[in-house]
Amino acid sequence: MKLTKARPETQKKKHRMRPAHHASSRAEGLAQPGIEIMAATAAGLTKIYGEGETEVVALDHVDIGFEAGKLTAIMGPSGSGKSTLMHCMAGLDSVTDGEVRAGDAVISELSDKDLTLLRRERMGFIFQAFNLVPTLTAEENILLPLLLGGRKPDKDWEAKVVASLGLGDRLHHRPDQLSGGQQQRVAVARALVTQPAVIFADEPTGNLDSKSGEEVLGFLRRAVDDWHQTVVMVTHDPKAASYADVVVFLRDGQLVGRLENPTTDEVHDQIRALET
Amino acid sequence: MRLMLQLSLRTLSANRLRFILTTFAVLLGVSFVVSSFVLTDGLTRTFDTIVEDANAGIDAQVRARSDFDEVSFTYRPFDQSLLEVVAATEGVAEVFPGAQSMRIIPVKTDGEPVKTTGAPILSFNWTGSSPSVTVVDGVAPQGPGEFSLDQTTAEREGFVVGETYGVLGVNGVEPHTLVGTTRFGEENALGGAVMLTFTLDELQRLDGTEGLIQWIEVSAVAGVEPDALIGSLEAALPSTVEAVSSEVIVAEGQDEIGGILSIIGNILLGFALVAVFVSTFIISNTFNILLGQRVRQLALLRALGASARQVKFGAVLEALIVGVLASVLGLGGGVLLAIGLAALMDAMGFGLPSIDLIIAPRTVVVAVVVGIGVTLMASLSPARRAARVPPVAAMRAGFRFGSGEGTRRTIIAVILSVLGSAAIAYGIFGGSDDTGLIFLALGAGAVLVFVAVSMFAPLFSSPSASFLGAPLEHLPGANITGHIARNNASSNNKRTASTAAGLMIGLALIAMASVVATSLKASLRSELGSTLTAEFLVLPPNDGNFSNTIAAQVSALPEFSEVSAVRYGNMRVAGEEKAVTATDLSVVTDLLDIDVLEGDTVNAADPSSIVVTKKAAEEHGVEVGQVLVVEFAESGMRALTVSAVYENDFLVGDYLIDLSGWDQNFASTSDNVISAKVAPGVDLAAAAAALEPLEQASPQLTFQTKDEFAADIEGQLDSLLVVINVFLGLAIVIALLGITNTMALSVLERTQEIGLMRAIGTTRRQTRSMIRLEAGVVSLFGALLGVLVGLAFGWVAVIAIPDSFISKLSIPAQTLAIYVVIATIAGLVAASIPARRAARLNVLDAIAQI
Ligand SMILES: Nc1ncnc2c1ncn2[C@@H]1O[C@H](COP(=O)(O)OP(=O)(O)OP(=O)(O)O)[C@@H](O)[C@H]1O
Ligand SMILES: [Mg+2]
Repeated sequence: MKLTKARPETQKKKHRMRPAHHASSRAEGLAQPGIEIMAATAAGLTKIYGEGETEVVALDHVDIGFEAGKLTAIMGPSGSGKSTLMHCMAGLDSVTDGEVRAGDAVISELSDKDLTLLRRERMGFIFQAFNLVPTLTAEENILLPLLLGGRKPDKDWEAKVVASLGLGDRLHHRPDQLSGGQQQRVAVARALVTQPAVIFADEPTGNLDSKSGEEVLGFLRRAVDDWHQTVVMVTHDPKAASYADVVVFLRDGQLVGRLENPTTDEVHDQIRALET
Repeated sequence: MRLMLQLSLRTLSANRLRFILTTFAVLLGVSFVVSSFVLTDGLTRTFDTIVEDANAGIDAQVRARSDFDEVSFTYRPFDQSLLEVVAATEGVAEVFPGAQSMRIIPVKTDGEPVKTTGAPILSFNWTGSSPSVTVVDGVAPQGPGEFSLDQTTAEREGFVVGETYGVLGVNGVEPHTLVGTTRFGEENALGGAVMLTFTLDELQRLDGTEGLIQWIEVSAVAGVEPDALIGSLEAALPSTVEAVSSEVIVAEGQDEIGGILSIIGNILLGFALVAVFVSTFIISNTFNILLGQRVRQLALLRALGASARQVKFGAVLEALIVGVLASVLGLGGGVLLAIGLAALMDAMGFGLPSIDLIIAPRTVVVAVVVGIGVTLMASLSPARRAARVPPVAAMRAGFRFGSGEGTRRTIIAVILSVLGSAAIAYGIFGGSDDTGLIFLALGAGAVLVFVAVSMFAPLFSSPSASFLGAPLEHLPGANITGHIARNNASSNNKRTASTAAGLMIGLALIAMASVVATSLKASLRSELGSTLTAEFLVLPPNDGNFSNTIAAQVSALPEFSEVSAVRYGNMRVAGEEKAVTATDLSVVTDLLDIDVLEGDTVNAADPSSIVVTKKAAEEHGVEVGQVLVVEFAESGMRALTVSAVYENDFLVGDYLIDLSGWDQNFASTSDNVISAKVAPGVDLAAAAAALEPLEQASPQLTFQTKDEFAADIEGQLDSLLVVINVFLGLAIVIALLGITNTMALSVLERTQEIGLMRAIGTTRRQTRSMIRLEAGVVSLFGALLGVLVGLAFGWVAVIAIPDSFISKLSIPAQTLAIYVVIATIAGLVAASIPARRAARLNVLDAIAQI
């Protein structure tokens, strides 16, 4: 592989880069004790858009696992299939081939109804923008997944999440009364409130200034460290990626690299390597 | 401008569903308008031909001379001996005496008299003179004991040629042989009426009018001009009869039918205009919403150098395209609707002839004017707003149009409501004699009030929707979707208001009709209760008349103390036609509490007296003891003494004469009603039992208690109300289309929001219910507002309608509540398509827009 040759300094670091197929061998070890537990895995995940001449292979036999209790970042050039991967793993999109699992559920085989319930109960979402329902207050937005399921919110947990995100005095505001950073924090709170198996975030800081972005990343990091949440985040920003425990790299729908506990520079280098 | 046209076309095709729905709403209105014209034009032409055919072959008619009917819708009879005078007149070739009766009824084998749904049972003497009445089967009646029946009735009621049936005349049921069946015109289109024919002698005997005929048809000797024939007839005849040419007869007949048809046509047109009015709101609303969604695009156009005028032109152009499409399709739809309506009326037993489809130039013009006019009018305000979009809005997010709470808007609404109320007040209290003007004032007033209410509505639509939607928060299993639906319904005050406006109008009219009808019923009940002191009434079928021998038979029963026949006729007072009622004045106050103010009715029971209401006395400036000159069709001018003045005109009108006075001044001697008071000490059941034999002898008559009578009238009112509601239903359907449209647009607008909600775990079902519940809240708001406006209108109507019809306001709370519930549910259902669209929305596509 080209990129293995093209990593100049990363080798010296404690985080070694492994070829992509290693990730799949990890996924297979899901049930084995002592090895990291996977919150979500994909095997041979292929996603093809369109047919014939307009056919686009967005994901090409991807094998991947997202480790529970870790923050994984997905990186790669535009159009490399990051969002598609996330959508397929989150049960938002159907797969062309392969198997996707979240915990014990085989996502690729579920009905729309079951997928919806799975997303509601076992997953959290943070999008780049338009994360909130405009006619609901911040608090209602946070509790939305619970309310949709007719579940009673766990008051203590809610209070803890809200307090740690510093949203206490903003709960009764509507989204248009909140700053972009506050809106994103509300989205984080909403993702956390159900204590989901995985939180998916697609460029959660893409629309924020650097300070707000760092705040949001800090919360995601803390959610993993303090509350053992699992977060999968798509990002273009090497600095954002440096908050992650694991960074995986995609190109042309294939996994082309992986870094553990990277620094910003390491990510930079990796990207540069991938571009050549 | 080419560019603007392209842009307009592209907008239309990009929002196909919305535009199809909008066009459909206008199309429905246009179709309804067109169908009312096509139907009346077609019916008029058809009936004109029928009248012409019926009078073909005769040159003149001799009939009683009068400028008015002494009894409405009947010919005044005259002596048969004039037949010889006419026959002997120079220039006369043939004469055909004519008589008609509505009191002869065929009886089926099972002993049941033939009944109709309101049309009369007409008997004629067979003359063979009219080419439009032909024998289909068997022969024409030749002598006593024979009759023929029209084809349609014979088939429907199972009459067989050659068999013997009972025929009910003044002397009771007598056996008659059905010798033939007849047909009127090509299709026997009698409008649901039954037609019997007899020989003249037999007809007169059965009708109890021996020696009397109602007209003489005359054909001229070849070469004699109609004018010459009329001249010589007039010279030969006494002044009590007149001769008129067949052209006059045809013209009179056509005018009469034309008058009725134009009333029907105007009523249909009225309903059609309501539908058009509602569709105006819908189009305007759709254009406004679409405009809001395209602010960015418009601003970009402006930023790139399009002038405000060009932007405005583009918006108007879209409306124009919709208008043209709706007009053209509406024209076709209207023709289809007319055919459908005619078929429906035929199926309901109106016996319509197949109508000619006439698309008059006027119809086309109206279709185009309505279709295009309405859309253009509806697009004016959105277009003006479009032109006001500042170029900078292209760069700036969150540009929003006014929320509809501006003071200017409120001022306009206030002005409109004042103008509207003034117009309504003028219509009611203006004292105009021109009914057209009155209707115009009332209609324009109602339109202005509706527009004003819809302009006020944004001021309170948000809190109202929030209030009305509050129960949704507690819906089991749907509290969050209910909450969001409530939020959405109350978040855009203007949209909620204008979407609800269509439903408001429909419901207001339905509620008003319902209030008026209920008040009418309640007034009738209470008037009957307090005014009518007789316990029993005898009534003929279809408001007809019956032999004056029955009253004497009732009177002879010991179970009844006071009995009197009632006859309704017309006379003239000071040149004006007035309705007059004849009854036995010596007992009238025992049967009816007419509230005599002055004078005495008992002593007025003679031919030279008249009793009038206070209102009539004031109108003519007469007092008790003074003379009032009246004109009767039969006897001419008569000076009658005013013997008493009364207050209560319920059931009797303003002028009362004694039966003896009637007999002297009217040619007709039939009764219209008998009212009878049960003798003291006799209970109702015994009295009813005593009437039994009479009832059996005259099965066509209804012997009713006061309560049954009231219930009968209420039943008729209820059926009328159903018909009105069906026609107003079209406006409701259009309003519902508007709800579908708005919801479809707001689903489109909220694509991202819905996608987001689906992503984080909203099921399809929850998505659907969210949209439906929102529509439900909006509909409930519209329906309630409509009922409120309808109550106000109904209240005004009750005040406006004279006390003799409606004396008190009665609100059908339960019915109105049911209407509101139905409208709300209909609104929920109307949102089904957009709801399904929302639920099927591809989550990723929705998120991709993020
Ligand atoms: N709905 C779709 N139909 C057709 N092709 C699609 C669709 N969605 C994505 N693609 C294609 O699939 C490939 C992967 O797209 P994806 O959105 O996953 O990229 P990405 O890595 O998220 O890019 P970016 O960084 O720009 O968000 C691209 O080539 C894209 O054009
Ligand atoms: Mg992406």
